[in-house]
Amino acid sequence: MKPTGLVFFPAFDWAISPTHPEREERLLYTRDQIFEEGIMDLPQITEYQPQMATDRDVARTHFCVPTVRDQATDAHRISCGGALTIADALMRGEIRNGFALVRPPGHHSMRVSHGNRGFCNINNEAIMVDYLRHRYNVKRIAIVDTDVHHGDGTQEIFWHDPDVLFISFHQDGRTLYPGTGFTNEIGGPLAQGYTLNVPLPPGTGDQGILYVLDHLVLPVLKEFNPELVVNSAGQDNHYTDPLANMRFTARGYAELNRRLAPDIAVLEGGYSVETALPYINMGIIMAMAGIDYQYLYEPDYDPGLAQESRKGMEIIKQIIEVLQKTWRDRDKLVENARNTREKFYQRHKYIYYDTDNVREQQLETLRLCPTCPGYLTIDSLARFASGFENRVCCVSIPWQACPICVRDANEHYEAIKKRHDRHEFIYLQDKSNDRFLRYECQTRKEFNIE
Amino acid sequence: MLVGIDVGGTFTDGVVLADGEVVRWCKRRTDTGRLQETIEAVIDELLPQGSGREVERIVLSTTLITNLLATGQLEKAALVVIPGSGLNPYELRLADNYYVLQGGIDFRGREITPINRSEVRETARKIKQAGIRKVAVVGKFSQRNPSQEEQVASIIHNEYPDLDILMGHRVSGELNFPRRAVTTYYTLITREHWSRFADEIEKVIRARQITAPIEIMKADGGTMSLDASRQMPCQTAFSGPAASTMGAFALTMDDKTSVVVDIGGTTTDLSFILQGEPLHASKGAKLGGRYTHVKALAVRSVALGGDSVIRIQDGRITIGPDRKGDAACFGGPAPTPTDAFNLLEGRKLGDPELSYRAMAGLVKDETKVADLARAVVEEFIDMLCRNIQEMMRSWEQEPAYRVWEIVNRRRVKLDRVVGIGAPAAIVIPRLASRMGCQGFVTRLSAVGNALGAVVARPTLQLTLHADTQTGTYSTDGQVKKLPNLGRIQMKDIKELSEKELKFLAEEKGMADYFSEREFFLEEQFNVIRGWTTSGRIFDVGITISPGVIKGFKGVKI
Repeated sequence: MKPTGLVFFPAFDWAISPTHPEREERLLYTRDQIFEEGIMDLPQITEYQPQMATDRDVARTHFCVPTVRDQATDAHRISCGGALTIADALMRGEIRNGFALVRPPGHHSMRVSHGNRGFCNINNEAIMVDYLRHRYNVKRIAIVDTDVHHGDGTQEIFWHDPDVLFISFHQDGRTLYPGTGFTNEIGGPLAQGYTLNVPLPPGTGDQGILYVLDHLVLPVLKEFNPELVVNSAGQDNHYTDPLANMRFTARGYAELNRRLAPDIAVLEGGYSVETALPYINMGIIMAMAGIDYQYLYEPDYDPGLAQESRKGMEIIKQIIEVLQKTWRDRDKLVENARNTREKFYQRHKYIYYDTDNVREQQLETLRLCPTCPGYLTIDSLARFASGFENRVCCVSIPWQACPICVRDANEHYEAIKKRHDRHEFIYLQDKSNDRFLRYECQTRKEFNIE
Repeated sequence: MLVGIDVGGTFTDGVVLADGEVVRWCKRRTDTGRLQETIEAVIDELLPQGSGREVERIVLSTTLITNLLATGQLEKAALVVIPGSGLNPYELRLADNYYVLQGGIDFRGREITPINRSEVRETARKIKQAGIRKVAVVGKFSQRNPSQEEQVASIIHNEYPDLDILMGHRVSGELNFPRRAVTTYYTLITREHWSRFADEIEKVIRARQITAPIEIMKADGGTMSLDASRQMPCQTAFSGPAASTMGAFALTMDDKTSVVVDIGGTTTDLSFILQGEPLHASKGAKLGGRYTHVKALAVRSVALGGDSVIRIQDGRITIGPDRKGDAACFGGPAPTPTDAFNLLEGRKLGDPELSYRAMAGLVKDETKVADLARAVVEEFIDMLCRNIQEMMRSWEQEPAYRVWEIVNRRRVKLDRVVGIGAPAAIVIPRLASRMGCQGFVTRLSAVGNALGAVVARPTLQLTLHADTQTGTYSTDGQVKKLPNLGRIQMKDIKELSEKELKFLAEEKGMADYFSEREFFLEEQFNVIRGWTTSGRIFDVGITISPGVIKGFKGVKI
């Protein structure tokens, strides 16, 4: 059998700030544990060195303001590059599956990036998905976000894409950052049902999460029939995590990965650096590589933790029912949206960047195309704490775009360029032709992002 | 006068070095069953009678340990492990008498689960009943806290004082529990054998009035005293390839990047000298098919040598991977690369007519024999090229854990191919021109391995892990209290590791080389709990790395 690929990149020389949860120490004990176990010596594991994501890799997914270089530092590019390295190894057929055990994380980063929010600047999984499509022509991909926080960035990036199924389960947004991820967030008008959110009550443990997996996630995945399954593998559902309130165990994580059998897992959050991460990371590696994990446990492991309260189980069952209905009705919902005969769909968004203290307002406009997911325009105004303001306009053409959307989007981009007094920067992201432009309004110069 | 002897699988080579010149050298067939007799004969051939007192240093490299482990003629031992949480401990089973105990230590040296004393006593009883005299006791994270290994060892000792016990933390302080278990176990089952061999060698040498220190080559390209080798016999494994690399180093003595190609009868060993520094394997030597904590040079052994069998299969030439005996010119049964070289380069070896006949047997048309010989050399060079390139790539792609290491990605730019071994003269110039770099072969290439042994200096390595929150540091199998220095900084930890290294170097009789120390690892982590710094963790590594002995400035080629 082919081995499991592993990129271990603990970024021992990078931190958001010295005492920040996202600091050098985060994967230190994980290093100690996996090295002491000697798991990399096993024939079931092949370790890879991460590559660095290029400007182009990042621009295929994000509108980094003003430039990719400003949002993606070397550390971000390597972390993201770790996911790309696993994707390459998988597609070359060298590995059966792979785990990018990397930091910094990415799943709170949205399409437009003005700064760091939720410890993330660029979205590792989303960039990997766009890379897989561009490079290997993979079409249907499912992302299961198992971080305790709602994967709002990944959700936003694939909101209008019916070929990416995004399922996130997380602690209820009423009790935890980022405060979103409710059952009524089901995707854009032409991709309804392809985003599913499971807001779990605080205190949910192994039993509850595995129940969601068995009764909702796995049946939906089976029906969606993706070419690849990605686990956005946060580890902060753990019972010792300092930033959340769940009761998941290392063995629960291993069991989840055994049943989900993701092709690729990418580390996201998880800040219980001593009592959780060393054991959960071992568990995920072991489960993915088919290694027996019955001897893996945390120092204070108690089998009673896995038990769910009756009330908790009832809430979980109700949520699953609602989501099953959304999933069943998805085609009808999309058809209804198309039948409105409106040409465009618009929504206003407000996005807060907690780490960098940026407030962003967006007006998003989607062409309700009868044949493709439609091109998208985002008018974004970012207000920084210093009083500085940055307004940009972003035009995105999906990779499945029809010729009319490609034409219209290009015309629209040229038209906004002529009215250059309103924005600082204007961007064109044409995923169908892998062409990415940035226009600087002040100098009236256009740059090809290479 | 310095004496170096490399006991290889097929041949034993010896050199005598005096005033920077190889004054005598010899080559003899190795009698694997009677190594000491082979060594005795080589010494007698090298040293005129009565000149023993002039010898200032004698260094030996040998395959004994590798042979012992391969043939399995070893004493029985029990392996007792304290694995705690993690991988299934029963899959590690490398001894018939394998016991898994309760207990557990975590990565910061905290006790997670206590040992069960009656279980230990019961285990001791089983070991005794099985008629076993040796016990290896190895715990996960025992290098961070050896107390459970010590408790288990002391219970076993109290029950049966005659048992020979070896604890894992005494063998290696590095992370990697399975490698520690393997290394401890192999050390235990080979050290009596090795000690007997060391006694005999010592007798042979002292009987010739040689009073100079006797040293043994290690896999890492350095040497250790014969006495030190009795504690760590496994470190002598793969000392042959290490000696060759050091031989290439001694012959070139500059800061260029070379690949060292040591062509033997059955295999060719490839290794690297990167900008003047021999490259170490990232995972440690593999013994009996398992990784160990034996630090070794990065050596790739290709099943391709002067005596490999040449065949023509489906119109294509294949060389090896097997060897059927000597080359045809020396009366062997099949055509070999040595025969091809013989035909192309002046027919100097054995009976060249035998080379010709063996090669001619592969082609219908006798006028094509010379073409075949050239094609064999091409194929030989092709195989080496592919392996060298793969080795370079895998070094470039070795995992790295820091941003700057990835940003400043490794690149190998090869300056030179250095040849060691008898067929080097023919292969190396062609190989070098194919690889677009300089070739280096001398008349001394044939005994480069023995030359490497004679000039290699002693090496020593130490890692130190300090945790200011627990107030302890661990190094060389011991956990000690950190000195009270107030706020401990990296420089304090570095000083501490220098002190430890100095002590070890003096103990091992290599204080002369302490000044050659270098740091190869400096890591520092703030331990943050609740947004404030509650401690610091340091990992420091310091080494006296492979090099040449004091006073050696190069050899007259």
